[in-house]
Amino acid sequence: MKKLIDILPLIIFAILIVVLFSFLSNKNNQLETVLIDDTFPKFSLSSLEDDSRLLTQADISELPALINVWATWCIACKVEHPFLMKLKTESILPIYGLNYKDNREKALELLKRDGNPFEFSIFDFEGRLAIDLGVYGAPETFFIDRNGVIRERHVGVVDDKIWEEKFAKYLYE
Amino acid sequence: MTPEIGHILLIVFLVLSFAGGFLPLTSVYLNNQTFEIPIKKLAFSLFLLIFLSFLSLVYSFLIDDFSVAYVSQNSNTNLPFYYKFAATWGAHEGSLLLWILAMNAWLISFMFLTKCSDKNFTNAVFSISCQVMFSFCLFTLLTSNPFERILPIPPLNGADLNPSLQDIAFTIHPPLLYFGYSGLMIPFAIAVAAMLFNVDTKEWAAYSRPWTLLSCSFLTLGIALGSWWAYYELGWGGWWFWDPVENAAFVPWLLSVALFHSLIASQSRSVFGKWSILLSIFAFATSLLGTFLVRSGILTSVHAFALDPERGVFILGILGFFVIGSLLIYSLKDFKKDEVKPYQLSSKEFGFLLNNLLLVILAVSILFGTIFPLIYEAATNGKQISVGAPYFEIILFPFALALGLLQGIALYLSWGVTSSFNFLQRLTLESVSLFGIILLVLFILFDNLYLSSFATIFLACWIVAGTLQVSKKRNLNYWNFLKKRLAVTFAHVGMAILVLGVGVVTSYSIEKELILTPGDEFEFGDQKITFQSIEDTLGPNYFSKSANIIFEDEKDISSVVTEKRTYTPSGQLTTEAGIVTEPFQDLYISMGDNLEADIWSFKVQIKPFIRWIWLGALLIAIGSMLAGLNRIQRS
Amino acid sequence: MNKISIFCILISLSFGNFATTGKDYDFDKDAYPFENEIKEELFYSLLFELRCPKCQSSNLAGSNSPISNDLKREVYELIKKNQSSDQIKTYLVERYGNFIIYNPPVEPATYVLWFGPFALILISIFSILFFRKRQIQ
Repeated sequence: MKKLIDILPLIIFAILIVVLFSFLSNKNNQLETVLIDDTFPKFSLSSLEDDSRLLTQADISELPALINVWATWCIACKVEHPFLMKLKTESILPIYGLNYKDNREKALELLKRDGNPFEFSIFDFEGRLAIDLGVYGAPETFFIDRNGVIRERHVGVVDDKIWEEKFAKYLYE
Repeated sequence: MTPEIGHILLIVFLVLSFAGGFLPLTSVYLNNQTFEIPIKKLAFSLFLLIFLSFLSLVYSFLIDDFSVAYVSQNSNTNLPFYYKFAATWGAHEGSLLLWILAMNAWLISFMFLTKCSDKNFTNAVFSISCQVMFSFCLFTLLTSNPFERILPIPPLNGADLNPSLQDIAFTIHPPLLYFGYSGLMIPFAIAVAAMLFNVDTKEWAAYSRPWTLLSCSFLTLGIALGSWWAYYELGWGGWWFWDPVENAAFVPWLLSVALFHSLIASQSRSVFGKWSILLSIFAFATSLLGTFLVRSGILTSVHAFALDPERGVFILGILGFFVIGSLLIYSLKDFKKDEVKPYQLSSKEFGFLLNNLLLVILAVSILFGTIFPLIYEAATNGKQISVGAPYFEIILFPFALALGLLQGIALYLSWGVTSSFNFLQRLTLESVSLFGIILLVLFILFDNLYLSSFATIFLACWIVAGTLQVSKKRNLNYWNFLKKRLAVTFAHVGMAILVLGVGVVTSYSIEKELILTPGDEFEFGDQKITFQSIEDTLGPNYFSKSANIIFEDEKDISSVVTEKRTYTPSGQLTTEAGIVTEPFQDLYISMGDNLEADIWSFKVQIKPFIRWIWLGALLIAIGSMLAGLNRIQRS
Repeated sequence: MNKISIFCILISLSFGNFATTGKDYDFDKDAYPFENEIKEELFYSLLFELRCPKCQSSNLAGSNSPISNDLKREVYELIKKNQSSDQIKTYLVERYGNFIIYNPPVEPATYVLWFGPFALILISIFSILFFRKRQIQ
């Protein structure tokens, strides 16, 4: 009868290999979203379109809605833009923009040139609202439900597939 | 044509290594001469094949053959020729070729330098090594072929070598590291061969010891060079980050250190045979595991490029095959009882046992900590945590303390039983005196003493005193005494110097972020820093903004340049730090962002004793290399 | 100087960290000016403990990405408001999750991480001593 201690290295290592194999198939490359099920954070920032207009969380009134973090320096945002326009033209749900650490003139020009899918855009020049949302880049998209609660977040470009997989279900609650 | 030749050579290598992995063992087991092959000649042929294949890849780089996909991904016409050469191992595919080359180099060294009468044993070692090389070659040809072509229209120019790799240290660091990793194949093969043919512990330990020492030496140099390179290349003054890649190299290093110490006991007293076998298997396993972790993409963080999971599966498969295979042999084997003389708790043997234990548990803890975020995420269904430097440093400290204390008394212990521990009194006295002297020196140099550094500095003194053994009674005069133990003296004193460097730089470093315009002066530590001017400069494949900085103190005045480089054609940005190296400290400044007009941010640091860390590592490498080379001749 | 005085100096200086730069600061060149050194040390030590959310594997001290710079500024402002190290970490964890601190929290899920190594040492030492006793008998 072989002593347990002699078989132990084999067992431990076999477990390790199985564990490592399992990691290969779970590939998540997004930062965890801690704010799920929290209400949208309070803020007080100017609007992109009108710098004299002060926006707060109360202005995100048409719910459910998407909040989309975007900027002119963000190349992937340009890839995402047509999909956002589609959501707007098909009146699926309102989208509010969060213009992240951007230049006001350039941002307005981009919207004029490529189309504006947003009800309005919050001008977050210093990125403070972004930090409160746990944002670390662009594009990012948040789904806010009827009660103003954050239900889902996606880091990266949202397209038909992502919309179906991650966001659509919250629309029908 | 050349890439095709390289490719074909690799295929021939594949076939021959398969033969080499299969036939010698068959001939031994079937006791049949027909399967016997001249293994030395085969080893040499294999080496020649991979060497020429490697050379053909180098050639493709040097002549800018962008029809080879790998060359076009990693090179550029503007790249200086020495970086084109180094770019051969700049990415995954080419580095595999280097791995295989290194394994072959070790194998022919073993075959030609080891005098061994047991033909079964040498055949087995050869075969097992060929099996390893075969699997790597198969992996390369099937998933990571460096010779793939972009035809019929090759690109006009390449993407360029990653700018942070365009550096002199980069030309030496990977080869050293790969030679270290791959060298552990030999002790692995020896251990398995020893199990298969019931070789006496004393005997196989003697064969394994030099190769373990030499691999460890290369690993030490490779890791130290990596640390030095990160320090000046990454631009912010850190020298060890407990990054998964670094941990992947540190763990096999710890296990190889445990191994060659265990082999000392195995060779001298036939003890710890099982420990030595398991350590041989796991040192090699963790070096393969390191390769896996780094290339499969599972340990990259949330915003990283996706590496190929298919490659991950393959490497894991190779790892699984060899380690589970050898552990199966281990589990099933009937180990005959070696003639072991009993030993007391006070003995050298027990010291080695403690050493094994501490190093192995430390290695396991580091490995576990490295993959823990993945386990946590899987177990909590999506929650994430980070395990980084603060954790590893907290865990490391007690282990380092215990190992250091052990290292200090190690050379006083005797086999079987240590008759008297009187040496402790002298040792403590010598250590405390040295400690006092060093504190005085530090106070004179830096005007400060930090309680947080005391334990580490004392440990260093303890190790030095215990290694140099100035007052120990012996028959020889002191210099002859040292000459007999040159290797261990270098290695252990080197460790002490490394520990001293770590202790001082951890507690005594200061840093600050500054905002300056040209002409500004700033007092920092004992230095006056002047931001003289900013210029536009041009390099062979980059343009940069260079800031000229002056460091001035009572004794010297030095000027350095720190740059923000933009590499064409990739457009990537790097920061080059400006470093003034003084004997007891480094003055370090790196450029930050251009805030407005001529206003720039800088990060300035003073790092006392940092070079001593790498000096210590160099001494360790020299010590283990001396020990290794010494022992090849004897065996 | 005789041994006793050296000893005395060493003893007296060994109490705590006396990080004195000794010279006058120029506050307007300091990117992150603080009113005292304790706050400054807290700032730089936090930069080592906090992880850059966007980088592959880097702390805030070693990263110049926009989000890192923004987070540095947040930490700076929180320190100026006299927040403690724990409060600042909680603030960031509320927004970015535990990912952002390099020191994993000590909670039941991480007990094995924090206590594992020492448990292993204790178990192995006891086993070895236990087996030796058995062998001797």
